[in-house]
Parts: sequence; C-alpha cells; structure tokens
Amino acid sequence: MANANLQIIHGILYGKGLRLGKLSPLGQVMATMVGKHGDYVPFMGPQIHDHAMTVAGVPARKFYWDPELLVSTQMAVQRWYGFDSYTVISDAYNTEVEALGAKMIYSDNAMPTVNTSVPLIKERSDLDRLGSLDVTAARIPVAVELCRLITERIKGPFGIGFFCSPFSLLCNAMGYPRAVRALMRDKAYARELFDYAENEVIFPFLKAQAQAGVKSSVGPDAWSAFPNLTPDLVEEWVVPSAKRLAERGKKELKMSVSAGTAACDYCEEDPAKFDKEMMFRCWDVASGLSFLKIAFSGMGRTQDWDMRWLQEYALSRGKGGKLPIFASLNSRFVRDSNPAQLVDKIREWIGIMGRDGRLLFFIGSVPADTPPANVHMAVRAVHTLGRYPIAKDLSAIRVELPSFQPFDRWLKGQPEEDVIMKAREQ
Amino acid sequence: MQKQLEKIRKAVVEGEDLEAASLVEEALTAGFPPLEILNRGVVAGIDETGKRWKANEYFLPEVILAADAFKAAMGPLEPKLKEGEQGGKGAHKLVIGVVQGDMHDLGISLVIALLQSAGFEIIDLGIDVSLDSFISAVKEHRPVALGLGAYMTTTMLRMKEIIGELERQGLRDNLKVMVGGAPTSQEFADEIGADIWGKDAIMAREKALALIGG
Repeated sequence: MANANLQIIHGILYGKGLRLGKLSPLGQVMATMVGKHGDYVPFMGPQIHDHAMTVAGVPARKFYWDPELLVSTQMAVQRWYGFDSYTVISDAYNTEVEALGAKMIYSDNAMPTVNTSVPLIKERSDLDRLGSLDVTAARIPVAVELCRLITERIKGPFGIGFFCSPFSLLCNAMGYPRAVRALMRDKAYARELFDYAENEVIFPFLKAQAQAGVKSSVGPDAWSAFPNLTPDLVEEWVVPSAKRLAERGKKELKMSVSAGTAACDYCEEDPAKFDKEMMFRCWDVASGLSFLKIAFSGMGRTQDWDMRWLQEYALSRGKGGKLPIFASLNSRFVRDSNPAQLVDKIREWIGIMGRDGRLLFFIGSVPADTPPANVHMAVRAVHTLGRYPIAKDLSAIRVELPSFQPFDRWLKGQPEEDVIMKAREQ
Repeated sequence: MQKQLEKIRKAVVEGEDLEAASLVEEALTAGFPPLEILNRGVVAGIDETGKRWKANEYFLPEVILAADAFKAAMGPLEPKLKEGEQGGKGAHKLVIGVVQGDMHDLGISLVIALLQSAGFEIIDLGIDVSLDSFISAVKEHRPVALGLGAYMTTTMLRMKEIIGELERQGLRDNLKVMVGGAPTSQEFADEIGADIWGKDAIMAREKALALIGG
C-alpha cells in the first residue's frame, strides 16, 4: 500500500480494532497514536539532520542550502535505520535571524550557527533598524521550498513546515541573557520584542510557506525548555504568543500554526533534582502548546527518569484512557551507551509503559557522531521487545545486534542515490 | 558592616545588578575591607544562588540575573582587590574558551562569572578558539586548569584533539582539563581523557574548587 493517506487510514482503523491486512510502518505509528496499538511499539524518525549528513558523507555547505538534498538524505538515512515514520527538518533556529542579518558561522561539517556574541538586537531601536523579514533574503527561499517538499513527500502528522518560535528567535537575535532579562525586568520591552518576532518576522515567513502550499507549520522552541524558562514564564509569555500566532495563521493563512514546541520540555540534567511535581506541571503546560495531545519526553536526561511517572501522567490525563506516550531516548545516551545498555533501557521502558499500548519511541535528536550500530540496535530492540502482546518476562527475550549493510551499499538502487552521490562529487 | 554586607549578598541573590554595584561602592566608600565585601557579600550571594539552584528554588533565569549582579558588583570591587593583590588573584589561573567553530557564549559566560567568584584568575579566550590558541595560552599562562566548552555535537569533537595535542607537547601532566556544554556527558569526558565534566556552571564551580582544595 504505497499511498500514504491509505496507510494512515489503515493504521487508524487497525488501532481501533479492525485488524485486517498487513500494516505499514506509518500505519503502526497511526494505530498507536489514534487507537491502542499496532503489531509492535513503533520507533518514530527523530531530528537527525547533522547525523544524516555525516552518515551520507555530504558536505554541510551543500546540504543546508539544497532542499532536495536535505530531504533526500534524511529520508534515506531514516529508512536505512528502519524508523517507522520520517522527521525531516533543517537548522530551524537559524533561518529567520540569518535573513535578518545575524552574524553566522558556516563550516564544512556542521550546520550553520548564529554568533550570539555579536547580537542582532541590543536595544529597542534595533527593531526599527531591522524592519520586517525579507522573504527573498538568505536561506528563506531554501526553507520555504524545504517546507513545501516535506509537506509533499511526508504525509500525515509529520509532513509539516517549520519556523523558529518567538522566544527562541529572540534568544538567537539578542542572546538568552538579554532576552530573559527583558521578560523578568522590562515587560514593556519584552512585549515589543514578542510583537516584533511574531508580526514582523515569523508571520511573513509563514505567509511565504502558505503561498507555497504548506498547510501546517510548527515552531521549535528549545530555548523555552525547562529550566531555561520556568512554567510560570512559559505561561506568561510563550503560551499567549503561540495562541496569537495560531489564531492569525488560521484566520489569515488558513494554516495550522503551532509555536512553542519544546517549551517546558523537562530538561533538568541532575537526577538528584528531578521533581515529579515540576515534571507534571511542565508536561501540562507543554501539552497545552502541542498540536498533538500526547505525553511527551523530549530532550531531557530521560535515561535517569523514573518512567512510571510518565506512565502515570499519561493515564491521569487521558480522560478515561491513556494519552499516547512519545518516549525519547536521550541523544547522548544513545551516542555514548553500548548496545547492551540500550537494550536494557528499552526493555525497562516497554515493561513500564508499553503493556497497555499507546507507546511510541524516538530519539531526542541524533548527534552527528553517534555510532550507527547504536541506532540500529535501538530500533531492533524496540521492534523486538515491543511486539504485541508484550511478553510477560521481557528479560527472557534476547536482542541481537542486527546485521546491516553499510550505508553506501544499502543506498545503491534507492530513489535518493543520485542526489546524494552527486552532492558528494561537488 | 554586617548589615551592609547582608544587603550586598541579598542584591546578588535577587539579581539586582544596579543595586549590588551601588551597595559595593557605598561599602568601599565607608572603608570596608575589599576582601570582606567580596567574601561575605558578593561571593556569599553567589553561594546562596548555587544553593537555591540545587534546591530547585532557582532556575536558569534567576541564575542569569544573579550572575549579572555579581559582575556588576565586581565592577567597583575588582580594582580595589587588585591594588591589594587580594581575592586569590594570581594564585589559581584557569584558561577557558569555546572550541573552534562554536559561537555559543551563554554557558561559558556563566561559568566564568562563577569561577571568578571562587577566586580563580580567569584567562578568557572567548568563543571560536583554535587549537593553537589553546596550546599557546597554556604555554604562556601555565594554568592549573583548562576549561573547554562546546555546544554542538560536531564541535565537541575538537576537545579530544586539544587534549591529544596537550599530551603530545608534554603540557598535560600538571594541567587539569575541564569540559562542559550541552552535548557533553561524563561518558564523553571519560572517553576523551578529560579530568572534570561540569554538568552546569554551579557544578563546574564546585568541581574547580575541589581541584584546588577549596
């Protein structure tokens, strides 16, 4: 069943109990999100751009400027790993500020990055000087085309455009200390900053996306994660801003706009400071911002979490059922662990959160230097241990490191081969 | 005197930068010993901030404001401390910088503020620092420790190259290497042969103090 829309419908029906036919990977994801579960716990595609670029051996100076290459490389690498859905995104935090004239650093082997030590916004008058976003400047046309391609190639809830949410955009334009100081010390200035970010920068970008046919766009907002911002600050600033953008997107662009993604993501690093009450509060605030009603662990140090808390949260907020849990393996944990440690963690989590369904795995983000064997192992472990019905004694199930072809050998004959090989030549 | 020092401590804890600077100036004008102002006012404020951070009473925004207040308080105080060769200056040098290709300066600016409050003399190489610049600075200043920051998974790999070069040039024996930054971990620090991993700025300060027996 090649048609993605049919796979989605098949998955929804399958998850609701009409268990007919062989479910596709995307169908497994939809069955779990909308119904109870598919045939196994799915592993969704993570944020992977730098890692995909490294695995595919394509140069950064080409990768981040070529929408076709960016999409093709990420889709190929995610299929090589056997993820059940795609996530394709670029360096989403940079696009708008780069076009406004931020000082950037470009390299041969990493995504562009903003030099916040030379801030674009130092004082109020800079807002007038910068003016509105020029949607023909820098990589904005690349990003618009990228959003269009993602929407075209990846159907379902993951085929969406992107933008940088207001607070993260302000952090990139002025540095986090200046931005947070404004929120806490100069509210009038902070309101002006949000107004500028929403109306003069983000909205023109969204309008360009809408004109290219993008129907839905999400705004990552990692600078609003906890403890960068507290839930109180997120509720005071990020939530109202996200509502304003959503309303304006719906009314003027007929577009679903979801800002503040990753705001209140619980990213406390010290296990000794993990606080159940604060976690629940963060998840409640984050849930109010998400375009999906889910229980979500994001970029935090999840390997040290007590996942019974996330399960309890999903049950308590599920209105008689259970919210789907998007459980993230921490990116550094996946990179730094050995295969046995990964399998043990996945076994523990499936035992806690998978038995009653509605569990999906992903990786917070995949660092460039992550050993591919670790990612293959994680996917194999989730698909093996997460097969329904979940085994009573998960410790009795052995998970072997899967044999996998080197990426270059696997790539031969794949639809993305030409695009990737040509980029290497250049 | 105690009342004034308490006011300074409180201003730092509450992140009131202008007030902290003005209170320090008042204390200096009143003839309080600079080292007393430093230790019982300014540093006491940073210590209290660290305690509140560890107790989940303070989060990053409050720490940022406290670090601002610390820097503001140090403005009038630093020249007086230098005049008297006080405040640990010259005793424990620490060279610090963000590795080449990486422009993130939030973490390092916090770490520097907190290490200064612990009495270290900081040689700040800034951001986007080349391997050669780190090596030259270590040769020139002979610090007790070298701090390396990286905030991207691609740039963090340069830390290993720097440690390797220090070993090749025979500079590693009496030098502790501290690493930190969002993508780093204890496992990564162990793998590349670093001595200390600072999970956050408060922890970096604690570990650096332990290093010099503070």
